Amino acid sequence: MPPGTQIFDPGWALDNLDQIGTRIGQHLILTIFPLLIGIGVALVLSIIAIRRPRTYSPITAISGLLYTIPSLAAFAVLRPIFGLSLVTAFIPLATYTLLILFRNFTAGFYNVPKDILEAAEGMGYTRRERLLRVELPLAVPLIISGIRLATVTTIGLATVVAVLGDSFGGLGQLITEGIQTFFPTKYLLGAILSVGLAVGADFLLVRFEHWVTPWAHAKSRAR
Amino acid sequence: MVGGAHEAAVVDFDHVTKHYDAGAKTDGKGTPGAVNDLSMHIPAGKICCLVGPSGCGKTTSLKMVNRLIEPTSGKILLDGVDASTRELTELRRSIGYVIQQVGLFPHQTIGENVATVPRLMGWDKARQRERSEELLGLVGLDPAKYRDRFPSQLSGGERQRVGVARALAIDPPIMLMDEPFGAVDPIVRDRLQNEFLRLQETIAKTILFVTHDIDEAIKMGDLVAVFQTGGILAQFGAPLDILAAPASSFVARFVGQDRGLKRLSLLRVSDVDLRPAVMAAPGDPVADARQKAAIAHGQYLLIVDGDRRPLGWVSEHDLPADGVISEAMANPVSPTVNKRTTLKDALSMMLDADVQTGIVVDRTGATQGLLTIEAVARKMREGEHAPAFDDAAAIIAGEAADGEDGDEGERDPGEADLAAIELGS
Repeated sequence: MPPGTQIFDPGWALDNLDQIGTRIGQHLILTIFPLLIGIGVALVLSIIAIRRPRTYSPITAISGLLYTIPSLAAFAVLRPIFGLSLVTAFIPLATYTLLILFRNFTAGFYNVPKDILEAAEGMGYTRRERLLRVELPLAVPLIISGIRLATVTTIGLATVVAVLGDSFGGLGQLITEGIQTFFPTKYLLGAILSVGLAVGADFLLVRFEHWVTPWAHAKSRAR
Repeated sequence: MVGGAHEAAVVDFDHVTKHYDAGAKTDGKGTPGAVNDLSMHIPAGKICCLVGPSGCGKTTSLKMVNRLIEPTSGKILLDGVDASTRELTELRRSIGYVIQQVGLFPHQTIGENVATVPRLMGWDKARQRERSEELLGLVGLDPAKYRDRFPSQLSGGERQRVGVARALAIDPPIMLMDEPFGAVDPIVRDRLQNEFLRLQETIAKTILFVTHDIDEAIKMGDLVAVFQTGGILAQFGAPLDILAAPASSFVARFVGQDRGLKRLSLLRVSDVDLRPAVMAAPGDPVADARQKAAIAHGQYLLIVDGDRRPLGWVSEHDLPADGVISEAMANPVSPTVNKRTTLKDALSMMLDADVQTGIVVDRTGATQGLLTIEAVARKMREGEHAPAFDDAAAIIAGEAADGEDGDEGERDPGEADLAAIELGS
């Protein structure tokens, strides 16, 4: 850092709002799409695990193993196949969400009280109706807490995607460029925005959870 | 047909057996929950209580009706139709089901919970809502207050009522209730039982009701099926008959040493022959009153007001030589009971009182007759049957059933009519 430069220069930030906005947008794409893929896959896997409990351990083991692969190594392996594309970025990011999501989703389903399942069966719910109208809604609080964890993790991890290049690098790009050019304002901004994004997303998900599960928060109104 | 008023159905168990694979937890007495060659006939509109120790197969028997458990052999006929031939979800939707933990859906409001089966059957929203409000009213919960609440906001007793309302949603011909009042405290349970019996007077469903509590079975059941370990039906009959003549030493032990008292709680004042009261009103000449007492061989006169409401007793010896009866002569009255009072309550009140005679009054408080401890004892004896098993002699202090002839003379012919207004009402 050349002597005399400010550590953080708000003026630069104001002058480069376009660039910052683009990076935030890219970062959101890098977060949301892998998450959606992860949620879809984890939901299917957890329903399989609920229906066939013997599959639970192998699925946990495999998603745990995938979780241990260093992201840089994953990019290196996928790059020859998919090139410097979003697909190369999405695959590892989605994979990393699986362990967290799968564990929370299955816990959500397992936590549905047995008497409620029995009541539903006794009243003539078909299996499908029971899954969609009873088990899934009751699993939502734990499903969303899994999504919150996965979201925060993915927002952090997505900064690494900067190694794949400038065209979709997200906030990681600001950080890498800031470090390479010895320009603290840029990497600090990248880091702060990344943290802010994570906190903001978490807050929104908490609000969302309250909105979709009013029943889970209704106790205070009891007489 | 959907949702229309359904008549109650006849339920027949025809040699129903359920075996569980050995190797589970056997205790030498057969696998818990097994049912062994069960046959019983439950007429339409009756409550049949299945009672017995845990693992005796009562819940298994219940769950075989809506096929949550399939029998190993035998048939269950609902209005003559084999349950196993019916489409599973259609069968279950046509049978009301209430379980101990209630199993309300926590994510749905009370209104939505009650409308569960109508929703499954595709009723339109307005009709679902209308029906759930009607049902909430039926079980004594104000729809405006409860409709939009969640189950977590209700007390245990309120949740149980919602459970009953939900089971009644499409007016099913049969209801299965698995310890429905088991999870609430005794005071609330008693209230729920009474409310449910009142409700049953209007809905008149065929109800299978599982309980481990013999007192609950006796109170709730038109019929009681006593199960013993191994899934064997030890006795099946009206509660009074089971109490009066247990079919085996197991049943005698299970219903308890105090089965005489339990019978008293099932009998009402209207079941007993009343003694006519010798009555006089203030202003009547003492001489007339004395003569009436002499005719009735009575020592006490009951002073009543112009509407025959009891004011108090006066002993023949305390009557003045002449003049008229006055209210001041009356000593405090004995307990008053009515035709619906159980003999157990009446006896308890009589034992507590100075004069051990109950005055039976009607709704307006007018005297109808007298209830004596002797009459209660006589009623108890007439219900006892000869012991049906070897070691019963020790339990029943043998007294023949015909010991009431000596008192016939005291019976007023008019009272027999009054005593007849009972069980059917």
